[in-house]
Amino acid sequence: MIATVLKLIARRLLAAIPILLVVSALLFCVLRLLPVDPAAMSLPPTATIEEIDAKRREMGLDRPLPQQYLIWLTDALHGDFGRSIQFGREAGSMVWATLPVTIELAGAAMALAAILGVGGGLLLFHVRGTLFEPVADLLSILLLSIPEFLWGLILLFIFGVVLHLLPFTGQVAPGLPLPHITGFLLLDSLLIGRFDVFLSACQHLILPAFALGLAFSPTIMRVLRSSLFDVYHEDYIQQARLRGLSEGRILLGHALKNAALPTLTLAGVQFGILFSGTLLVEVIYSYPGMGNLMVDAVRNADLPLLQTIGLTYCIVVLVINTVVDSLYVVLNPKLRVR
Amino acid sequence: MAGPISRSLCSVRVLIALGMIICIGCCAVFAGWIAPHDPGDQNLLSILTPPAWAEGGDPTYPLGTDSLGRCVLSRLIYGARTAMLVAVFASFGAMIIGSILAHISGYFGGAVDWIIGRMVDVWMSFPPVILSLILMVGLGVGLGKVILAIVLVDWTRFCRVLRSEVLIVTRHDYVAAARLLGFTHWQTIVREVLPATLPLLITLLSLEMAIAVVVEAILSFVGLGVGSDQPAWGQMIADARQYVYQSPWNLLLPILAIFLTVTSFNLLGDGLRRTLDVRLAETGR
Repeated sequence: MIATVLKLIARRLLAAIPILLVVSALLFCVLRLLPVDPAAMSLPPTATIEEIDAKRREMGLDRPLPQQYLIWLTDALHGDFGRSIQFGREAGSMVWATLPVTIELAGAAMALAAILGVGGGLLLFHVRGTLFEPVADLLSILLLSIPEFLWGLILLFIFGVVLHLLPFTGQVAPGLPLPHITGFLLLDSLLIGRFDVFLSACQHLILPAFALGLAFSPTIMRVLRSSLFDVYHEDYIQQARLRGLSEGRILLGHALKNAALPTLTLAGVQFGILFSGTLLVEVIYSYPGMGNLMVDAVRNADLPLLQTIGLTYCIVVLVINTVVDSLYVVLNPKLRVR
Repeated sequence: MAGPISRSLCSVRVLIALGMIICIGCCAVFAGWIAPHDPGDQNLLSILTPPAWAEGGDPTYPLGTDSLGRCVLSRLIYGARTAMLVAVFASFGAMIIGSILAHISGYFGGAVDWIIGRMVDVWMSFPPVILSLILMVGLGVGLGKVILAIVLVDWTRFCRVLRSEVLIVTRHDYVAAARLLGFTHWQTIVREVLPATLPLLITLLSLEMAIAVVVEAILSFVGLGVGSDQPAWGQMIADARQYVYQSPWNLLLPILAIFLTVTSFNLLGDGLRRTLDVRLAETGR
């Protein structure tokens, strides 16, 4: 079973490689259209025109665009993504250091979104046909209208500024050590046995994760409800009812299992969007992840860094979508190829 | 189309949403008359004053002032102009590109369909926020650039959804009949296919307006939006965030403005979907 899943995922990831190549080429072209000169930017302001020209030749900027792309691609395949212009450090290793932070945040947010979404979806379905239905329905549309960055600000305001309940800047309280073993702070703090760091990291994670989770749960809610509606038209629900099963057991034992599939597909697509949604939440909470790094790179027109981060986001989203697609095939017996 | 339109006007959701959108639209159009001050006018003698009803409020600034002593109410009203301009032009632009490609793709099929489909695939593998940020770096700030960036990112939403609808409609007998009657491809698409996909198109358009408002706010928040000379809600939020302890209202008011605008577009989209979609209307959901 696991072998087939892995084989499926591997096959689909291979199929995603052409897309990735086109994406990286597009990214390259868009960023080269910028009216900034990376050569001039990487030299001190006192550099002469000749020095800048020499640097341009050294960086390969005098060659035609396709050739520049090929140089970049060859380097990238060898793990060299160039140096960040503003920090002077390797772009690849900078992204590599911030990626776990963002993955941790996205994972926590997705778990919350799933819990809130499934709970809310069941609740929405439960009140069908009652007086509460229009109210719940309207509420779900209102929730749908609050994007993650507004949730981020609202939660920051309520729990951080007014109630002083939770911290809202950074990843841990100032003064605490930031262990670096795997890059995943929650894991690392446990590995070095510092529970105070772990606790502080959890506290700092709550608001950003809830901001993202709350923003993405309404879609899951609504899809789960409508797939539950579809499932309830099926004969086996009637039959279960005739067998005398309680409504609760029909809902949780029979209907939910079948309604889970479309919901899962959607959750996968949502996870891709959620992952890029971390960007704003990180900016709002000064969370030291990839999103913050990207906004920094954007503000300083740091091309190599920007390119690496943009590509990383695309790769992660592509991988997530591929894995979810494969899971969908595995979980849906109708699609299984024998 | 008289039936569906009058039906949708009977829907409470659509009416409420339209009412709200008209109010915001009026603010946008008549900003020059409604706003008590010029949105750029600075009064450095009274910075960060609270709204008029709160303690220390100044009645000349009904909703207080920001960190540069600019009138918050006026900036909110002018911000509505920015948001509505982006919402209307960006969503129409995305709709035009997306629906033309969707109709070509779904109607002709074959190689054209394959190429457009792969284009959409590549485009959609960029997360929208990331793509629009990168585009804004390339394009530079400004109202027109924001609109262009949103069009370039979001045409795929229309293309993907409409294509499958066109595919279904094209298989209907009346489309084949139109071809047999001697209609050209162009005539068939415009007279037979488009009217059938129009309800979906309108619904998507309304949802896209909500998305455009959010994207504009996000870009302005990050500092890559319409530029500092033009008031925008996202910018007001970014500014107010630094002074959240001194004047929380400055943060809450633009949030509320964005929320109301996005809600009304979403409500309109949802109401239209329910009333215009024949299949949904029949099942009574």
